[in-house]
Amino acid sequence: MLRRLAALTFTLLLLAPSALATAYPVTVVDDLGREVTLTAAPARIVSMLPSHTESVCAVDACGSLVGVDTYSNYPASVTELPTLGDAFGPNLEAIVALEPDFVLVDEYSGLQVPLEALGIPVYAGSPQTIAETYDFLVTLGTLLDRETEAAVLVGRLQGELAGVASVLAKVHGPTVFVELDPTPYSVGPGSYFHELITAAGAVNIVTAAMGPFPQVDPEYVVLQDPEFILLTDAPFGVTAADVAARPGWGGLTAVMSQRVVEIDQETADILSRSGPRLGEAVRRLADIFHPGTF
Amino acid sequence: MPVGPRRSRALALASSASALLAVLVVAVAVGSVWVAPDVVIGAVRKGLAGEALRPLETVVWQLRLPRVLLAGLVGGGLALAGVVFQGVFRNPLADPYLIGTASGAGFGAVLVMSAGASVPVLASLGAPVVAFACSLVTVLLVVFLARVDSALPTVRLVLAGVVISSLFTAGTSFLLVAAREQAGGILAWLLGGLAFSTWSQVRLLAAVTLPALALVGAFSRALDLLQLGEEGASLLGLGVERTKLLLLGVATLVTASAVSVAGIIGFVGLIVPHAARLAIGRPHARLLPVAALWGAGFLILADLLARQVIAPVEIPVGIVTALVGGPFFLWLLRRRADER
Repeated sequence: MLRRLAALTFTLLLLAPSALATAYPVTVVDDLGREVTLTAAPARIVSMLPSHTESVCAVDACGSLVGVDTYSNYPASVTELPTLGDAFGPNLEAIVALEPDFVLVDEYSGLQVPLEALGIPVYAGSPQTIAETYDFLVTLGTLLDRETEAAVLVGRLQGELAGVASVLAKVHGPTVFVELDPTPYSVGPGSYFHELITAAGAVNIVTAAMGPFPQVDPEYVVLQDPEFILLTDAPFGVTAADVAARPGWGGLTAVMSQRVVEIDQETADILSRSGPRLGEAVRRLADIFHPGTF
Repeated sequence: MPVGPRRSRALALASSASALLAVLVVAVAVGSVWVAPDVVIGAVRKGLAGEALRPLETVVWQLRLPRVLLAGLVGGGLALAGVVFQGVFRNPLADPYLIGTASGAGFGAVLVMSAGASVPVLASLGAPVVAFACSLVTVLLVVFLARVDSALPTVRLVLAGVVISSLFTAGTSFLLVAAREQAGGILAWLLGGLAFSTWSQVRLLAAVTLPALALVGAFSRALDLLQLGEEGASLLGLGVERTKLLLLGVATLVTASAVSVAGIIGFVGLIVPHAARLAIGRPHARLLPVAALWGAGFLILADLLARQVIAPVEIPVGIVTALVGGPFFLWLLRRRADER
């Protein structure tokens, strides 16, 4: 509650005309602890992560994007831009040839090293939680001289999540098992996906002790008997029928009550990208867990 | 009074078999929940009769029992294949994956996992079938490339195997990099795992592995002779090429079936034969069944650790076999050195 109030105050403060513009040079610290300094609002931005692309566009800087990674596909306009490989297989020459004045990369890509050597400012990081998503959007607003847009966006997202939470406050939260792939890998506390599930009013059967991305013993799923199973591996060909055919899984409540949900590619994108479609992600999940409530 | 070879064989077999039985009982009882013996017996009775199962009984009958049995069959099969490969190649570094079985299977499985969604034919066949097929194709390719007229020189076989393996491994790595979003699951498969073992897999593997054990056992004298070198063996009246082909064929079939259901589980096929040889000596009539029993027990234990160490989170069993098997083997090796 305090946090929400603080954010609201922050938003209102930013809406005051004096706080509208970023005073360059501006310095922020990225996820690797590096200081990132921009001397002017960047006009040629490269994003090497789909969530960064979405965030840049959501704070109304889409026009400054000159290139994106292969997986960036939202908003639709970015598909017109040159694609530059992905975070772990980047086309460095193509990036440099675009003469960017600011590049956003994943913290594990290592891309900041060669780009920094060429004098190109790089932000290396990616939000891993809902709170970090808000923080990142605010930071991005500062860097791109879009502080107002960022503050409004964060306020709107917080409002959307609060709205869902208030509706769900009196509703029973079903248990859920999220399947990232048929190994089965899953998500647990500490992951963005787990926070989305929680925000959408469901209870993850994966516990904190199991870690954020555990490979779960199938026995555990049978014994926990979740009410929902989310197949985020459905775009890769895993079906509800496959799940029903697994040894011992045929009698699961989720299987018997047809609550094994095949997540489509678009939804999978929204759920996996910690960015401005956070509200949409929670609403879609809430629709799955609480059909007819919204 | 010294124990005769027949007696000592019976002794080694009986003690290994009872150790395996003990391991089996423990592995079925221990898991994400501890299951009391009467529940296990009840689950087996109901399972065999096809009656409805309570949740805990479902876990025992549909998940844990097939898993334990499959681990035993895979481990036993890999150890058997390891004895054959080391015997035929007369090379202590030979393992069941030497001539491309694993790299071919790995490539096939990863192909299905990464491209299955866009190529429905692959998806409908499933990873195990494609892995098995690729495995056999790889080995045939290696044999074809290594062949000189009707002979199959061992050195050429090893070289062709290593090079073809590198090629397929390169292909696998490429698919892995290209299908990055599924890399975790693919990597877990490559490191081996028995999480979704089914009764049909148990039946399939039993139908391959148990006859193979009998068949290879019938050739244990030939394996002994091969240790004299190919010339020595042929002087003693052994049809060397035919025997080699038959033994490698059977071992490959066992390995490919094991890989197709459980992924690439390293170390069992390399270490268990050595451990058994260090402990009970060379004659293959004794070595083959003991190594198979030890392989079965070892992999059941390794899988138990894999699902139990940080339960209910799993570790790929291939990591456990190396982590546990390596130090144990080194200890065995040192102990033998001390005795000398």
